[in-house]
Amino acid sequence: MFSIKLGLKNLTRQKRRNSITILVIAFAFFIYLFLDSVMGGMEQLSFNNIINFETGNIQVAYPQYWEEREELPLENLIYLNQDIEESIKNIDGLLATSPELRFIANLNNGIDEIAVIGLGILPEKYNEVYTTQQYLVAGSIFSPGESKAVIGKGLAELMDLKIGDYITLLIRTKEETFNTIDLEIGGLVNTPHPMINNGIVFVPLDIAQQALNVENGVSMITIRTNKEKEITPIIDDINQNFQKKNINIKAYSWRESAETVIAYSAAQDAETAVVLTVILVIGMIGIINNVILSALERTREIGMMKALGMREWEIVLVFMIEACGVGIIGGLAGCLLGAAGVGWMVKYGYDLSYIGGDMSLYGIPILDKIYGVWNLSSFIFIFFFGIIIALFSSIAPAYWAAHKDPVKALYHR
Amino acid sequence: MRKVKGFLLIGIIMSILFSSIIIAPALEMTAEEIINKRDDNEYIISIKAEAEMIIVSGGRKITKTMLILSDKRNALIEFTNPQDRGTKFLKRENDLWMFFPDAEEIIKISGHMLNQGMMGSDFSYQDIMESDKLTDLYDFKIIGEEEIDGHPCYVLEGVAREGVKVSYYRRVSWVDKERFIGLQEELYAQSGKLLKETKLNEAQEIEGRWIPVDSVMENKLRKDTYTGFKIVQIDFNPEIPEGTFTLQNLR
Repeated sequence: MFSIKLGLKNLTRQKRRNSITILVIAFAFFIYLFLDSVMGGMEQLSFNNIINFETGNIQVAYPQYWEEREELPLENLIYLNQDIEESIKNIDGLLATSPELRFIANLNNGIDEIAVIGLGILPEKYNEVYTTQQYLVAGSIFSPGESKAVIGKGLAELMDLKIGDYITLLIRTKEETFNTIDLEIGGLVNTPHPMINNGIVFVPLDIAQQALNVENGVSMITIRTNKEKEITPIIDDINQNFQKKNINIKAYSWRESAETVIAYSAAQDAETAVVLTVILVIGMIGIINNVILSALERTREIGMMKALGMREWEIVLVFMIEACGVGIIGGLAGCLLGAAGVGWMVKYGYDLSYIGGDMSLYGIPILDKIYGVWNLSSFIFIFFFGIIIALFSSIAPAYWAAHKDPVKALYHR
Repeated sequence: MRKVKGFLLIGIIMSILFSSIIIAPALEMTAEEIINKRDDNEYIISIKAEAEMIIVSGGRKITKTMLILSDKRNALIEFTNPQDRGTKFLKRENDLWMFFPDAEEIIKISGHMLNQGMMGSDFSYQDIMESDKLTDLYDFKIIGEEEIDGHPCYVLEGVAREGVKVSYYRRVSWVDKERFIGLQEELYAQSGKLLKETKLNEAQEIEGRWIPVDSVMENKLRKDTYTGFKIVQIDFNPEIPEGTFTLQNLR
């Protein structure tokens, strides 16, 4: 009991030194929590962008198509029929489905040409799966059969296009023959997803199918569910339905289309581990330094306590209590600072226009703003992590202090 | 027997620009016979050539020089102008590779990349990959007679055969009645839109053949752009060392 009291009292004896150590620990913890929040926010936003603009929650396609989907082939397309539609329709948790035909095209404005991805859609169904229409900044979405296109604002600026202008899409049919689709720009979208803004041309599905000679073929069917966290059972249900009908089509999670972002997320975990290691080293050095200086200053005091009959472990406990106190206060301060920083990032975010505004250059599908996310487990983890580090870092220097010969310690100068 | 045209850019010029036709003086010949005769005339075992590609786009003019080696099925192009020196293209059967010396990397050109213009020109990579015999791909017919720059021509129209894989759905060729070379050709999309137009500026008789040595291709979907192609020197049936058309040789 005496050791605990003395340890706590020692906290207040070297206010300046302890305060500096506490500040160092608090700052290191703040950096960790802030970084963790921003990384988490980027991951969340990337995943949302992929689901809301690119893949929906689930994609349904032939496995052969799925393997080559990056090449946007016109082979192994789904030809919609009653069996296929029924296999998907009666699934629990399903909100909407959208058939899509993805194809390679060159957008031509009469002067320049640029490679783009063409996306044949049924507007009504597409809008039930994706949120793209909420980001329409000019014009409107086309109706089926209308020779109109919707493109991203970035692409429109690059190709000097505006509503009412005409474009030609140069495409290759299923037989690899060149074909053209003349379209009027009917709408412009400005979404948080760079790919939609800069590289996609939306066209009516029937127009695309006709021009590509694929009859009623679609590349895949995308699905929106109301059970976003539990899509695996839905995927299993869809696959079972297809199997029952002997149809070799499969359902795939959006995660399989987000491999780059998920890989980035894994890299981010490694990065966080590095930051954590740096924090650990900073904390350890601070605590060790603190205990050594305290022991040196109190050598005579240690000698006197040992002469009065205090045992070594009780002296070690004194220093451990003091170090633990520094860890707790530093941890609390770090968590408070972190909460302020994370709160600011969650509420106001960071405008990417300050650094160029397009994270897609780094493989992350985010444009516009990054927001932080609250991660309570990180706060709890870093707080207890700080205390444990403080405790363990203090053992060796405290033992060194407690092990001193009492006579030599008393005469220490 | 199915014949494969033997070389790359020259092949392009012959198949796209001059794909046209040796037409027998007698009008009784059918379009099929005329095309076959044209194919016989164009069949070249191997060549070695020096050529220039002049790319004009929006008032900007870039000249690229190259060496071309080609046999029946393969071709190797090496660019020799300072900006692109060391850039090479290798066509082997139906595959195309490119080597950029700066990146020191061999890239296979496939998928959507085949639609892009070769080195920024109006010739797409797909254009240079076309090596099938045209009569296997198109149904030709004679649609008239016209005069171009004082040369009387036959006008032939080729429409893609059903089920075959072909880049241009329809092509119309103007063929010189006297020299039996193509003077002009128009290439159309399936929609009927004119995509490309090629015109002959100059032809020379070399080793008994009339060879187009100066021609121009225009991308009709874009304004103010065209690509000229000039043959500076050409040797027929040169000795091509073994291993010329290999990926190892591309580096």
